[in-house]
Amino acid sequence: MIRHMILRNVMYRPVRTCITIIAVAVEVTLVLIVVGLTSGMLSDTAKRIEGIGADIMVQPPSASIFMAFSGAPMPIEIGQRLAQLKNVRAVAPVLLQFNSTNGLDIVYGIDPQTFHQVSGGFIFHDGHDLQNANDILVDDWYAKARKVKVGQTLHILGHDFHVAGIVEHGKGARLFVLMSTLQELSGARDKASVFFIRCVHPEQTTKVIGEISQLLPHYEVRPLRDYLSLMTSSNLPGLQTFIRSMIMLAAGIGFLVILLSMYTTIIERTREIGVLKSLGASRGYIVRVILSETTALCLAGIVLGFAMSYGVRWLFLSAFPTLSIAIAPSWLLRAAAIAVIGGWVGASYPAWIASRKDPVEALAYE
Amino acid sequence: MEPILKTENLWKVFRAGRLDVSALRGVDVDVFPGEFVSVMGPSGCGKSTLLHVIGGLSQATRGRVLLDGNDLAALGDAGRTLLRRHKVGFVFQRFNLLPTLSARGNIALAQHIHGDGFDPHRFDVVTRMLGLTDRLHHRPSELSGGEQQRVAIARAIINEPKIVLADEPTGNLDTKNSDNVLGLLRQLNKDLGQTIVMITHNPEAAAYGNRVLHMRDGLVVDGASAN
Repeated sequence: MIRHMILRNVMYRPVRTCITIIAVAVEVTLVLIVVGLTSGMLSDTAKRIEGIGADIMVQPPSASIFMAFSGAPMPIEIGQRLAQLKNVRAVAPVLLQFNSTNGLDIVYGIDPQTFHQVSGGFIFHDGHDLQNANDILVDDWYAKARKVKVGQTLHILGHDFHVAGIVEHGKGARLFVLMSTLQELSGARDKASVFFIRCVHPEQTTKVIGEISQLLPHYEVRPLRDYLSLMTSSNLPGLQTFIRSMIMLAAGIGFLVILLSMYTTIIERTREIGVLKSLGASRGYIVRVILSETTALCLAGIVLGFAMSYGVRWLFLSAFPTLSIAIAPSWLLRAAAIAVIGGWVGASYPAWIASRKDPVEALAYE
Repeated sequence: MEPILKTENLWKVFRAGRLDVSALRGVDVDVFPGEFVSVMGPSGCGKSTLLHVIGGLSQATRGRVLLDGNDLAALGDAGRTLLRRHKVGFVFQRFNLLPTLSARGNIALAQHIHGDGFDPHRFDVVTRMLGLTDRLHHRPSELSGGEQQRVAIARAIINEPKIVLADEPTGNLDTKNSDNVLGLLRQLNKDLGQTIVMITHNPEAAAYGNRVLHMRDGLVVDGASAN
């Protein structure tokens, strides 16, 4: 009976119902897109780092796992010392530089020979490898997103580069230039940001890490197989706070809309509450009716929110193919829970008011 | 025979700003099972207040209300809610049907709140008696005033209450529908032995009852007890 009454109630005020459902859907979409965007970008970055194919990476002491945050404080000669270790097959020094011209990208400065030894080389969709100082390689996603073609000029880091080739994505960055060029541009001559190391046999990774730690005490030496698990929002300073803030904002929207919606509902239905009380409905019954109606609105909003999230994701990825938005099943559940709990909290005050209404005054309400 | 409803020195005082206004000033009334009592009196004499207090919608300031042996004055909000649910049926002047529900839904809601679930036999008996079988799927806005009041009466008696309290049930109806509704109330009283207390301004309506109780200035001035 309550279900029937709720269905009739929500259908009786279609505009109010639609606005409430849309607000909850926006709340769910906001949560899913913010979390999906951050975790998607982190996961995408991690996968690209793992895609290099190295077994170990070496960074300067106290360096962040988010490599572009760490500058280039390591002398490049370290690479030669690492290469002399017994079980090391290849060492590739890489210089990282943030580019904010025409978007936000990380540019890898590489030595093609050592980078290919570690990574197994690029798969070329078009063009050729880095040969000249002004050459740049872009990955296929970047090329598709920016409509870049081999032979054209690309203005990056305040410098005009010649697009020498388009390579398969998944080898660390989306943009690659010669290390010597990037050292010149960034004033980091003979410096590297990170060393990627490939062992003779992957199972020797732990042993080699021990040897490197002895050779370079205090340096950050990490196995690449653990990298994906480390690339989470909780390891990036401020990101977790940002995500929490956005979730709070989204939950706040849902809370306020539900509060307002249910408050106006109970004002509008004051006489009906009086009727329910005259029929012997308890306070609990009235609270249950209002919270059940809230739940129904939230559930409809959640379903719409899921659909909207996938729609927004599709739109974003169509417009910006280099983005990555990961909508995880666990976050679908969390977003739903946030919406329902926010709705219940928002409806609890109106429900409390309704349950305590004086039946005589409620029945006399015009 | 014990009265189904008995009030003793019943007072109801409202606070209006700094003033205390006594709507009931020591009302003593007995209503016996199977009676149809009409309550008459000028506006503001305390008729509706009496109905609200004896129906457990509001609490008396002083005195006792015994409804089927339960002292309403001694009950809290939850206790009065239970008493309304199981022993009282209300019929209001403005019908007070839920606009979102059909006639069937409005009647079934009372059964749902009562807690014994939907009783199709009782539902059929009541709706047939009130001539509602063809109108059950209509919403209140699709029903005439007379039909709405018949739905309200059905809702009031569906759970077989000990007493039906009707507050000006014909106040919003034309003469024809008024006669029809009053006739139904009398039929319920005679055929089912339903105890009814009805408030009315109209002497013709009051004549449908088998006792008329007159009120003035918060007091019952005539007909307080059955002869």
